[in-house]
Amino acid sequence: MAELKTNNNKEMFATGEELPKAQSKVKEFVKKFVKRKTAVISLIFIIFIILMAVIAPYVVPYAPDQPDYTNLLQGPSTAHIWGTDEFGQDVFSRLMVGGRLSLSCALIATIVGTALGVVLGLIAGFYGGFWDSLIMRCCDVLFAFPDILLAIAVVAIIGQGMVNVMIAVAVFTVPSFARIIRSATLSVKQAPYVEVARSLGCKNSRILFVHVFPGTIQSMIVNFTMRIGTAILAASSLSFLGFGANVTEPDWGAMLSQGRNYLNTAPHMVLFPGILIFLTVLAFNLLGDGLRDTLDPKMN
Amino acid sequence: MKKYRKLLAAVLAGAMTVAMSAGVQAAAEDGYIVKATNTEAKSSDNDFVIAIEGSVSSMDPANIPDTSAISATRGVYENLVQFNEDQEIVGQLAKSWEVSDDSLTYTFKLQEGVKFHDGTDFNSAAIKANYDRVVDEKNKLRQRRTFIVAQNDGTEKERVASIETPDDYTVIFTLSEPWSPFINRLTQFCIISPAALEEYGNDIMNHPCGTGPYICTEWEEGDHTSFKRNEDYWGEKPGVDTVTIKEVPEAGSRTAMLQTGEADMIYPTPADQIEAIKSVDDVNVLTADSNIMRYVTLNMDLPELQDQKVRQAMNYAIDKDAYIALMYSGNGKPATSIVPSIIGGYEEQTPYTYDVEKAKELMKEAGYEDGFKLTLWGDNTTQEIKGMTFVKQQLAQIGIEVEVMPMESATVNDKIYVEKDEAEINMWYVNWSASDFTMDGSVRSLLYSTMCPPTSANTAYYNNPDFDKLLDEGLHTADLEEQAKVYSEAQKMAWDAAPWLFLGNDQIIYSTKSYVSGVYVAPDGAFNFAHAQLAQ
Amino acid sequence: MGRYFGKRLLSTIPLLLVISFLVFMFIHMIPGDPARLIAGQDATKADVEVVREQLGLNKPLLVQYGEYMKGLFTGDLGMSIKNGKTVVETIAPRLKPTIMLTISSMIWAALIGIILGIISAVFHGRILDYIGMLIAISGISVPSFWLGLEMMQLFSVKLGMLPTSGLETWQSYILPSLTMGAGIMAVLGRFTRSSMLETMREDYVRTARAKGLKESLVVMRHAFKNSLIEIITVAGLQIGGLLSGSVMAETVFAIPGLGRLLVDSINFRDYKVVQALLLFFAAEYIFINLIVDILYGVINPKVRYD
Repeated sequence: MAELKTNNNKEMFATGEELPKAQSKVKEFVKKFVKRKTAVISLIFIIFIILMAVIAPYVVPYAPDQPDYTNLLQGPSTAHIWGTDEFGQDVFSRLMVGGRLSLSCALIATIVGTALGVVLGLIAGFYGGFWDSLIMRCCDVLFAFPDILLAIAVVAIIGQGMVNVMIAVAVFTVPSFARIIRSATLSVKQAPYVEVARSLGCKNSRILFVHVFPGTIQSMIVNFTMRIGTAILAASSLSFLGFGANVTEPDWGAMLSQGRNYLNTAPHMVLFPGILIFLTVLAFNLLGDGLRDTLDPKMN
Repeated sequence: MKKYRKLLAAVLAGAMTVAMSAGVQAAAEDGYIVKATNTEAKSSDNDFVIAIEGSVSSMDPANIPDTSAISATRGVYENLVQFNEDQEIVGQLAKSWEVSDDSLTYTFKLQEGVKFHDGTDFNSAAIKANYDRVVDEKNKLRQRRTFIVAQNDGTEKERVASIETPDDYTVIFTLSEPWSPFINRLTQFCIISPAALEEYGNDIMNHPCGTGPYICTEWEEGDHTSFKRNEDYWGEKPGVDTVTIKEVPEAGSRTAMLQTGEADMIYPTPADQIEAIKSVDDVNVLTADSNIMRYVTLNMDLPELQDQKVRQAMNYAIDKDAYIALMYSGNGKPATSIVPSIIGGYEEQTPYTYDVEKAKELMKEAGYEDGFKLTLWGDNTTQEIKGMTFVKQQLAQIGIEVEVMPMESATVNDKIYVEKDEAEINMWYVNWSASDFTMDGSVRSLLYSTMCPPTSANTAYYNNPDFDKLLDEGLHTADLEEQAKVYSEAQKMAWDAAPWLFLGNDQIIYSTKSYVSGVYVAPDGAFNFAHAQLAQ
Repeated sequence: MGRYFGKRLLSTIPLLLVISFLVFMFIHMIPGDPARLIAGQDATKADVEVVREQLGLNKPLLVQYGEYMKGLFTGDLGMSIKNGKTVVETIAPRLKPTIMLTISSMIWAALIGIILGIISAVFHGRILDYIGMLIAISGISVPSFWLGLEMMQLFSVKLGMLPTSGLETWQSYILPSLTMGAGIMAVLGRFTRSSMLETMREDYVRTARAKGLKESLVVMRHAFKNSLIEIITVAGLQIGGLLSGSVMAETVFAIPGLGRLLVDSINFRDYKVVQALLLFFAAEYIFINLIVDILYGVINPKVRYD
């Protein structure tokens, strides 16, 4: 993302007139954004969770895969602040280290899905005609199945495992992005500056990536943020239905799903992963909501 | 019919979990884990409600996919012979029977005065009609495979050469060659009213009609199955007015139903629910031995696993007691032979007592001091995953790095039943239950040399002609002493060769209100409610 | 309008045909052999071949598809391989629980969602706005099976207030529909808010306000009424999504509905049942979209059908 942005700025700079305006836009955006407290808190929480995921393996009190058969299913205590699981492993350590897997799985899946969706949406919206019909009809087909069914179908065919769960989640991310970006593209296409670029004889591909694509970034960012939350939920739902990622690894969804057998005897095994997933997804959704409100001129 | 009860096993397994604070519970000697203190409790009605985890997916006894359906059909239907509560074969619709010295001819004398639910008479013609229906290819019944063997050249062979009915109450089966499990298989050969079969054909599943103590009144797959008392039952009169089998997959919900009295019996009871049940004073939690053998197959064709020392080392590295404690809250036993003790011909073997040092020593002798990597396949239920994770943790102690790969059972099958040169299997976490309780049913498909995939399930690729010979001798004699001798030798041979990691045999756990009597769960997981009584 | 409807209806046919073909191919791409599952783990290769032939699985895929489509048009969806019931017999009794659950979840989700949305819009930028949106967004942030399990633990097991499973009484609908509806509530709440904010800025709303109408009247009669069309559209589109929620709720609360049937049938490789169910889900989704489109026009005469 960051790289794309700098590229844009460079291009805009090259055309000569946009840079000062863009800068003030960013300033204005930041000013508006910090007013939305829920979004700011969410952003801080997300940064904290990501930091935790990065440093967790070096700071957690126990190795996440260290069994202790004499301490099975112990409730929270000073030795194990979030208790132990069915192998006597420390739940807190597993959740912290597991954040790595769960977050990177969700991030990668969403990035891949978004990238594909954006490219397809741009092509459909910009070129129209045959490509538009083809891409949109394919999306219709994918849309006809609820997200989780689509994911189950993909995992059932290609097998279980972290990578395959990512593919499954990416697959159902694509059509919604394609649709959103297509309509964004259609409206940007009508914008005067695109007309100008065209009349100046710019190549289609240049118009597409230099002029049209930046115009769609706004709706992309918002949906991207929210989709990360959806991806985390989808991965844990897949685990619940038995189509999840690798189970011996401390993945949040897998822990939640494995823990449900102990709901009435060791509730901490379900409670802590559940709350962590809930808060993380909530944070991504609130952030997305805040971004939408900030970016949408109609909302001010 | 030798049935791999994977469905039930998975269902049972998914439910049995470790009790949290109770720690390890001692295996109950007298069958009780929790004995009700309130033995005076009375039932408010004479309607017996059983909440089960699985699904009664068929009411056609000749076309049954799982154990819940076996349990349900046994209320309506009866067999020539049956296993009693002590796991002995006794007559049911057969008064008595004789086996000829060459183990080929079985002559049954039938009960007289028995009527089907539609009022027609039970007689020898009914037996023949049912046999003819089962083996008729057009009917596509699962039970057909009990009596028909498909040969590798594509032809089929009937195990029964002829079936004769010299009079109304005598049936003579003549086998095409000696086959000792025959009598055991007849415990699953239910007799349906020929008149009803005539009328409904294969739609008989929606119109069950047998000779049993209960008449099926409603079968709603996925929800419930109901029965009412058969007033004209020929045997001991049934004790309750109605029986309802409710399908309740979530363990916590079943427990709640028993506590509130919505259900009089729940089956199975996961071990982690026992603590919750203890708070109620009128509930018994009971165990029954099972025929479930839990093990991990080791692909003996792999270079790392070719050496017997390595395979034995792996067995020594597994703490079987911890396995039973962790997986079944102590309600089970470490494996003591290649079959559970309940199988005919079982003999206890010298255990591979947990000893990491000895295991390391053996690995060193085999030249694998630094260990190696293996994959472990298995089903994707939470309980199976837990078992696989345990094996991974244990084998890590002797340097073997295990990658756990849970898959849907259908996918596992796909990867296992391939030609030998395409086999990718390293280890498979699996279980087996022979519902005919014979040694042959327990091990032939798993360890006989010609039974390697894709032919059948010898996934250890165990190949020992001496072992094969012993199994064949056992199969061709109905003489129990002779069988015991050859099976003793065969067991020792396979146990020492260690083609598997021998894990354990877990117990079946179920709970009833203390006013319930006369119900039991057979080792194959089917429950029997024919003689249920509710104290009022 | 009749013509438009007919045209739209016709246009779904190629879409359904493509979907039926894709579904068929995908299902047969899933590894796992139903013949092996039926014959049993210990069955010999020859046994499995016999079963495969009985099921017609040894024919080329395209021939199987052809037979399937022929059956589809003559109303014969084939047999479940599990117990020999027809597919229709297998699916029919499962319809009612899922439909009832869908309706009950939709009702409460729409009610609460819309109320939250209105409150947030009216108190835009103030604390009630934040609280309203926090509640709504929580609904799409919670793993639904976790929500269901925790609620069951609290309300059924600990407090004994509600049944744990089944759908016999009206009380038994409460927990599963709460589980299923949470996500929809969130989507509707959020959408109502943004739609209301937009309409409240429209001239006619300002005019109404300037005329000195009571604020509550302005909100309900003018702003909300005009947002309603869009809200209904979004609600309709969510029904397709409810089906995926039903998989979770039906598993947790032991409800014999379509979602559970689908997962069980996938596990059993009961091809015919899976095919029929997926096709049914897709068709249902497409038709709901169609109906929503039509309704949109009925409520808002400005929309033209060309």
